Formats: sequence, C-alpha cells, structure tokens
Amino acid sequence: MRALLANRSVRPYLLLVLITVVLWILDGGRGQLLTTSTAFSVLQQFATIGPIALGLGLSMILREIDLSVGGMLSLSGCIAVLSGADYPALGVALAVLFGLVWGLFQGAIMVWLRLGSIGVTLGGLLTLGGLAYVVTGNLSISYPRMDVALAVNNPVLHIFSLRSLVALAAFLAAAFFMARTRVGRDVYATGSDRRAAMVAGVRTSAILAGVFACSGMLAALGGALLSYSLAAASGVALTDALVPAIAAAIIGGVSLTGGKGTPIGIVGGVLVLCLLSAGLNAVGTPPAVQDVVTGAVLFVVAIADAVDLDPRLYAIRRYWTAMFVRRNDLDRSGKTSAAE
Amino acid sequence: MTDQALPASLRDAWRLRLPFSRRGRVLVAIRFAALLALVIVAIMTPGFFTAVSLFSLLNTTSFIGCVAVGMTFITLSGNIMSFALSVTLSTSGIVFIATLPLGLPGALVVAFAFGAAITGIQGAVVGYFRANPIIVSMAALALITGGATLITQGQGVYPQGEAAAALKGRILGIPMPLAAFIVTVVVSQIVLSFTRFGRQLYMVGSNWRAALAAGLNPARIVLGAYVAAGLCTALAGILMAARYSSGDLELGIGYDYSAISAVLVGGTAISGGEGSAIRSFIGAFIIAICQVLLLLHGFSTQIQYLAIGVIVLVVIMLQTLADAE
Amino acid sequence: MNATATARNAAAVAPADAAGTREAAASPPPVVGVRGLSKSFGPIAALTDVSLDIAAGEIRGICGENGAGKSTLVKILTGVYRPDEGSVLVDGAPAAVTTPRQAQELGIAIVAQELSLCPDLSVEDNIWLGSLRVPFLHKRPELRRRAAETLALLGASHIQLDAAVATLSIGERQLVEIARLLTRDARVLILDEPTATLTDVEIERIFAALQAVKRDGRSVLYITHRLAEVYTICDRVSVLRNGELVTTVALKGLDRAALIELMLGRPSGEMYPEEARARGAPALVVEKLSLPGIVDDFTMTVRRGEILCIAGQVGSGAAEIIAALAGLVYDADGRVTVNGRPLKLGSPAAAARRGIMFVSGDRAAEGVFRRLSVLQNLVATRLHDHSVLGFLRGGALRKAAARLASSVGIDRRRLRARAEELSGGNQQKLAFGRSIERQSDGVLLMNEPTRGIDVGARAEIYRLMRSFCDEGYALVMASSDLEEIVGVGDVVITLYRGRQVGHYRRSEVSMHRIVADITHPRDATS
Repeated sequence: MRALLANRSVRPYLLLVLITVVLWILDGGRGQLLTTSTAFSVLQQFATIGPIALGLGLSMILREIDLSVGGMLSLSGCIAVLSGADYPALGVALAVLFGLVWGLFQGAIMVWLRLGSIGVTLGGLLTLGGLAYVVTGNLSISYPRMDVALAVNNPVLHIFSLRSLVALAAFLAAAFFMARTRVGRDVYATGSDRRAAMVAGVRTSAILAGVFACSGMLAALGGALLSYSLAAASGVALTDALVPAIAAAIIGGVSLTGGKGTPIGIVGGVLVLCLLSAGLNAVGTPPAVQDVVTGAVLFVVAIADAVDLDPRLYAIRRYWTAMFVRRNDLDRSGKTSAAE
Repeated sequence: MTDQALPASLRDAWRLRLPFSRRGRVLVAIRFAALLALVIVAIMTPGFFTAVSLFSLLNTTSFIGCVAVGMTFITLSGNIMSFALSVTLSTSGIVFIATLPLGLPGALVVAFAFGAAITGIQGAVVGYFRANPIIVSMAALALITGGATLITQGQGVYPQGEAAAALKGRILGIPMPLAAFIVTVVVSQIVLSFTRFGRQLYMVGSNWRAALAAGLNPARIVLGAYVAAGLCTALAGILMAARYSSGDLELGIGYDYSAISAVLVGGTAISGGEGSAIRSFIGAFIIAICQVLLLLHGFSTQIQYLAIGVIVLVVIMLQTLADAE
Repeated sequence: MNATATARNAAAVAPADAAGTREAAASPPPVVGVRGLSKSFGPIAALTDVSLDIAAGEIRGICGENGAGKSTLVKILTGVYRPDEGSVLVDGAPAAVTTPRQAQELGIAIVAQELSLCPDLSVEDNIWLGSLRVPFLHKRPELRRRAAETLALLGASHIQLDAAVATLSIGERQLVEIARLLTRDARVLILDEPTATLTDVEIERIFAALQAVKRDGRSVLYITHRLAEVYTICDRVSVLRNGELVTTVALKGLDRAALIELMLGRPSGEMYPEEARARGAPALVVEKLSLPGIVDDFTMTVRRGEILCIAGQVGSGAAEIIAALAGLVYDADGRVTVNGRPLKLGSPAAAARRGIMFVSGDRAAEGVFRRLSVLQNLVATRLHDHSVLGFLRGGALRKAAARLASSVGIDRRRLRARAEELSGGNQQKLAFGRSIERQSDGVLLMNEPTRGIDVGARAEIYRLMRSFCDEGYALVMASSDLEEIVGVGDVVITLYRGRQVGHYRRSEVSMHRIVADITHPRDATS
C-alpha cells in the first residue's frame, strides 16, 4: 500500500477519486453533477489540454522544457484550418508535419549549439505565436467545414468523441513506448543524468531531437483537432495553454528534475484538472476561481518539488522545537531554559 | 580621464572590455555590425525622426523598459524570467487607482508595496526553497489573474478626481514615463554596479553553491532581486494606469514577453550572473526601433511581433555561441 | 615529425618488450593501441606523443601520479575526447573513436572514475543501458538473467535488480557499474580507479572476474594509484609521467621503489614540504560529529600549524565531514569548537564568522564564479570589509585583490580576466586566495585540494599550504590521493564507511597502512 502511495504516477488518480467523492457529496444524490454529460465535457477538455501536456511532460522527463507548445497550438490550428478545407485529413497531416519539422529544428539547435531548452523554446514560443498572429491577422479564421467540426465532436459511446479518442490513443502509444521500448528507457536515462547516459552509449542527441519532435507533433495534433472542433483558428494567448499543461504534467508525477513520470500519470494529472474545472463549473463558481485553484495547486507542487525543501523543513523543525522547548521551560520554572 | 578611471563595473556594463576569447570577439563584432545596420536603416527611413513616431516609440518603450529592468534583476539572479510581471503591472495599476482616495502619496506607497509584496512572495519561495522559478511565476500568474478577476469582477477601475493627472504629462520637458524609465535604469545600474547587494546578486546568479560556500545568504539576495523587480513593475503599472486613466487587467498583456525580449536582446545572459540594467535599456530601444522601422516600411503589428520573436531566437543562439568556448 | 616520432615510439616500445619481439612477427596485431597521441587543454599538455599496444589476453596496468595523463588517455580510447595528434589503432588499423557508442562498437568498454549510472533507472536498466545487444523491446528474460548472474559473480546478489540506483550505496553503485562492464562483450575492458569505494573482499572478487576475462582471451587495462593492486592483478605496467609514456615493463622483477621512482621521476621526498615546525594550541576540536546515514561519532583535534589529513575512499565520509565543518550539511550533529568557541553547524555564514575557510576541490560546483573576473572572485568574501552603507569601495577592493593575487602567485595582469579562462591550478589558487589572510588564527578546510591539477601547480599548492600553517593556521583536508596524504599530513586519520579507524602521526604512517584501513572493516573493539 505504501509503495502504491509513493508511486508518483498513482497520486493523481488518488486525487481524482478524492475530487469525485467531493463532487458526489456536493451533488447530494440529485444526479446533476456526476452525469455522462459531465464526463463528456471532462473528456472534451482532456482532448484539448492532453496532447500538449503529454508533449510538455515528455520534454520535462528529459529535464528540459518545451515552452513553444503554446505557440504551436495556435499556429497548427491555423495550418489545419487553412489547408484542410477540402481534405480535412490533409489539414491535420500538414499541421503534424509542421510540428515534426519545427520540433526537429528546435532539437537540432539545442544539440548543435549546445543550448538549454528554455532560451530556445522561449524564442520558439514567441516566433510561433508571432506567426500565428501574422497568419490570423488578429482575427479568427473560420473553417468552412461544419460537418467536420461536428464529426470531431460527435459523442462516441456517450462520453468520448473522436478528439478525445485520438488523445487517449496518443497517450496509450506513448505509455507503451516509454515503458516497454529501449528508446523509452533511454529517454528516462537522458533525463536522469545526461552525461552518464552518453558515456554509457546512449545517443542522447537523437533522443533530444526526437522528444522535441514528438512534443511539436503532439501539440500540432491537438491544435489541429481543436480548431476543427471550434470551426475556427485564432491566435490564443500564449500562456493560456502553457499553465494548465504544466500543472497537469506536474500533478501527473512528472518532476522538474527529470527522469521521472509516466504518460499514464500525466493522463491522471490532466483528468484531475479537467474534472476540477468541470466540477467548479457545475457548482456555478466563476471561471476565475479555476485560475486560482490551478495556481494554488501549481504553487504547492512547486514547493513540494523544490530543491531545498528538506533542509528548510529541517531548519524550521529545529527552530520550532527550540522555541517549544524554551516556552515549556519558561512555563514550568519561569526562568529561561538552558537550551541556549 | 583614462579608461582606467572608469569603474570596472561600469565598463563591464557598457561592454567596453573586449572578451579574451576569439569567439567572444566575433560576437561583439556581429552585435556592433547589427547595431550599425540598424542605425543606417533608421536614418534612411523617411519619417523616422518625426515627432509622432518618436513620441509613441518613447512612451511604449518606457513602460516595457521599466518592466525589463525589473526582469533583469530576476534574470541576473539565475532565475531566468517571471511570467507574472504582466499581471503585476496591471494589478498594481488597479491598486493605485483604487487607493487614490487616500491621496496621491498614499496611493503610491500602497501600490508600490503591493507590487513588491506579490513579487516578493514568489522570490521568497524561489529563494528559500529553491523552487523552480518558471513554475512559481506561472502559478503566481494564475493566482493573481484569478484573484484580481474575482475582486474586480472583470471591470476596470476608474479614478475619482484628478489626483492621478499629476503623473501624466511631462517633467522638465520629458514625458513622465520616459523620465521614470531613465531614473529606474540609473538607480538600478547604480545598485548593480556599486553596491554590495548588486555584487552579491551577480555571484548568486553565477554559482549559487559557491555563493553559499563563500558565506553569502543566496535566499535573501534572490528575495531582494524579486522585490526590486516588483517595484520596477509597479512603477510602470502606476504610470500606465495614470496615462490611461484606468486600472484594468487588460493593460500590460504580453509585457512578460516584451520585457524578456528586451533583456535578452540587450545581452544579459539567460543563465544569470552576467548582464546589466543598461543592457536592458539598450535592448528595449533596439526592439522599439525595429518595431517602428517595420511599421514605417508598411509591415503590420503582427509582423513586428513575429520579427521580435525571431530576433530573440537568433540572439539566444548567438549569445550561447560565445559562452560555448 | 611524424615519421621520426613513430620510429622513436617503436623503439621505445620494443626494448621493454624484449620477450615478445621474437613472437611479434608471427602473432596477431595488438587488440588496441595508440600511436603518437597528444592532447592539450589550453596551455596544459595532458598527453605528449604517447604510444603503446595491448595484446589479447593481457592485463596491463597504467600507473602514474595525479595529472600524469592516465584519465586523458582512457577518455581518448573511449571516445570522450578527440586527440589533437596521433591515432587510436584497433587490430592494427586506425580507428575513429569519436563517441562512446563507437568505442563500444569497436569492442572497448570502460568503468570510469566518475560513475555513469542514471539514478532514476533500475539496476537492471542501468546494467544494460546503452548496450548494443539490447533489442527494441528491452525487457527480456535472458537479459535479466544475465544481469543477475553477473551480479552474483561479483558477490552482489543482494542488490535488487528493480531497485532504483539512487537508493544504493556508493560501493553498490560501483559494483553495478562493473557489472555493466562485464556484460558488454568487449575485447578490451578498461577500469579507471575501479576500487575507489570498495572493500578488500569486493576487490578480490573483481580480480577473480578479471582473471576469468583474461582466460577468455580478452584484455584489461587497469588504471590505479594502488601499487599493491597493480602487482596482484597486472602482467605488465605502462608508466605515465607528465603526459609522456616513460616505459612499459613486466612487473615480475620490478620492485616497488623502482616503480615509484619511474612514476615520480625523482625520489618521492622533493614534492612535499617538510613537516610542521611547531605545533600550537588546539584550533579545532570536533566531538561526536555525526552525519545521518554517512558518518558516525567522529572525533578529532587539530592544532595550530598542523596539517591533518582525513583519508578515506569515495563515500567513506571524509569529504562530507569537511563539508559539514564548513556549514554545508544541514543535518549535521555534534559538538565543534573553534579556538574554544562553539560552532553552529549547518550554516556557512556561522562557520565564516568563526574563522573557518573552505576551499572546495570541486571548483566548478562550489568554488569559482566562472563568469566573474578574477578580481571579483578574490574579494568575494571580503565585501563587508570594504563597503560603506552598502556601497562598495572599488579602490580598496582592487588593492585587496592585487595583494591576495600576489600572495598566492596569480599574475596581476590577469585580474580582469574571467575566472573561467584560468587553468585548473590557477582556479584552485584563486579559491585559496579568497580564503586567506582573514585572520591568523583561522582554520582552513580543503576537499581534494589538488584534484585535476598538474604536477607543477600541485607542488606550489603544497608549499602554500605549509606556509599558511607556519603562520598559525590549522589545516584539515580530505583526500583520496594516498601519496599526497603521506607526503603532506602531519596527522592522518583514516575512515572506513563513516567510522574512524586509525590515527597516525607522520612518522607512523605509510600508504600500505592507509589502504589497509580504508578498505577493511574493523570490529568495534580493535
């Protein structure tokens, strides 16, 4: 049981159970909150945030971070909408191809110039966002194919849709890949200690390029399907997508120090955020509360994952016991304690 | 007055000293050439020096520039950037407008304290626990945005009375925002180059553990850096709110990116320990000049936005080429 | 140049190999060899024109003191460094070894001094990490079995295959790394200081495994400081000194003193200064120092003018004790007094207030501010002394820096240069300069003071250490360089796995004694 609790990828699911229970209590048996339509909207949101969270999470497992996924989301939507009027599949394919190329490009810069990912992907974020901004001209581009928009969002088995199934498929593929293949293991190795992995013979440069290519493709896939479902592409504010994606990945067990976390865990993290949002919506709280909750969760997790947490807690405990001991002695004898 | 007489720290700030490595020198040459090219294009563009374009240039640059100087403190401390400065800007403006009934000095004090506090809390967490600064700033972004939206109900805050009007207009013939920007740069540069805190900031940004081993308190220094950033941002927020006569969350959107772009283009290292306020000053102006030039040559604001992104990417690539030696 | 050099090298290699020349014509080419290898790092020449050959089924020792070039040679053989001149030969033909992966393909495998294990991965994954034999779907029962067998061979069956490496002790990690080596079907196995964390029993097992490898027709390159091990396991030894190959000789008939002289090029006395002139009052008294999980119940007294060395392997706790005294270990516990005044543990600032100065061997991580100038580095701890109301007094700081630079032998003209542009030795002097002259009753703590520093700079640093002690400092250092400890220490304390073993004065100590102490568990009574 302890081992299960300690497992980083299980924690989000425990949280999920907790939230479900709370919602059920709030529901009070009226059957309004825990319905198939709630599940459907949760999974729809999952389809939006999921692919980005997965891509971002993979880059974080590598001990890097791909900030450009925020910009890729909008730009790929534009590409899909503009090129997919006649053949929707072509639109998606082109968007994913662009994601692949851009990811490889970023990866190549990082490998050849030996740069950290923060600088490069920050530049990438600004560039992609800028491109999206240019292409859309600060307006929305509408997508003429309403039938596609409906098909993509059509409920399948009551709670799923094409979009959410694609997202889930991507996660399952990633989960298999990371757990069962040599390349997946190498990704964990590179994230855990890149120098050691390289010395052992792992092709760390290829791994780096590959992971960033994947995160580009995943963000592009998510963005393309999202624009189809909205029947429009727009320049989304850059940080809007990043914050929930990072929060989801971190709740899902991915660590900022690399080498830890699984795609299944990230699924849990995304579901937690989506359920939280759906639940808060259903209860009638304004959307700003979701921001606050997400921010608070992220804040707590940032501290929990912090480098110097243990020494500081130790120091706090020592200080506390010293104060407590002194106060105790004061109470008892009225004199200052000898613990000075 | 010989070169020796200029304090070394100021010389570093102005990049007057040539790097020893050959790659470093190539980089300086590239930067110089780029600057020269920029100046030439500016001179050759008709309409660049007209009052209208220069005036609007100065105003926008001043606001972004103040935030950029604040961001510089955070970057120098080794904490890369903050995604929360844009909302700090707008919320400080809101607080300022909302507390104007206390009188202008009172409102100023409260707004500055607010900016310093909300950024300072982030600095405390990043400094004492060494939490990841990107994540902490994103968390703060969400918290502040959500909190502010709840409190203001999404509406803007408007001033009663004319107390804020004192901050519009000019001082000694210079527009207020520009004057504030210059003062911010000067004060910040003095702090960075000539004070113990400034020197310790560079040490912490260069190597946290070595700073610790040398007997410094890196946590406190990082906290100081974030507080400085908060003060600079609050200043911009106050002036912006005064200029537009309203406090609104919409003001300052995207300023994080503009600010970090100015910092990086100016030449401050993203990994910390190297850079200065003057560099961010130059960086802010370079970006502004590029934007105006693009505008005058007929490119839309979107293209300008894109161009800045590309410039940042290129600058980052170039900068680390020199460090790779 | 190249033709004559090759001829010279051939001549250098051949005479010592007299027994083999008759067979040389008929026997197959050496498994691996280097010709005219040279490599420099900036102004420092790590290797100069080195040539040697390893035959199949041979166990070759590579000996030399710190900075002789052993690790550089090995790193070139395994693709981590590229040589400036010269080539690597495999089966007699030049081979391009540019990445660790290529080295593996060529049949070269290594256990390096710095462990290459990924902490978050399991033992089994680490053993098979990067191996060419692992298929795409990597969880195979036969691989798991082979991993278990190899661990058993090394006497390490108690290590769980699924445990994350981060949970293992340093000795266990070393065994995992050696297991990885054995599972690579390499023709040449290179071990660089492989026993730095192991007990004598574990060392014996490894030697047995290496003998099995030799019988298999594979070759071993064994790099070590420890002469006893060289004599036990190696057939022949190549001696490097100052980046050059001195000779390659068979070990039979070569006595220890001769080997040492080959390594040092001089009688061992000249490098190290004489012993302490006078011993003063106790400067640092440590009682019952404990670091949870690492060190238990450590006690020592250091007197003014004395150099005390704490000898221990990697992970024994020696380095951690020094770090704890410097205030860098937050959960340290015990009573420490400096010049009679109590020291609060866990705070570097408190240690600095008591006059403790810390010079780390890990310059990059703890010592030097790379992007700041030499001047700024030198005065880094003195800012409070030369500032008014928070403002720095630039002139006073510059003067102080100039004075410090001359007292440790750094050229004044380099004051403006960035610290990262200095050589390793100069950076260490920088770290030194920062810590000195604060008060004449200070305590200097040093961790691996001459790691990665060339021979010339090392002698200078030892002289500096002695002169500071003569002025009244007390110096405590942790080192795993046995020769350095014997040469420099007035008092030597040996540690094994966090417990104190022996306490020796200069006259009583020898390398043999120290090695025995630090690799062999003692029961509590002895």
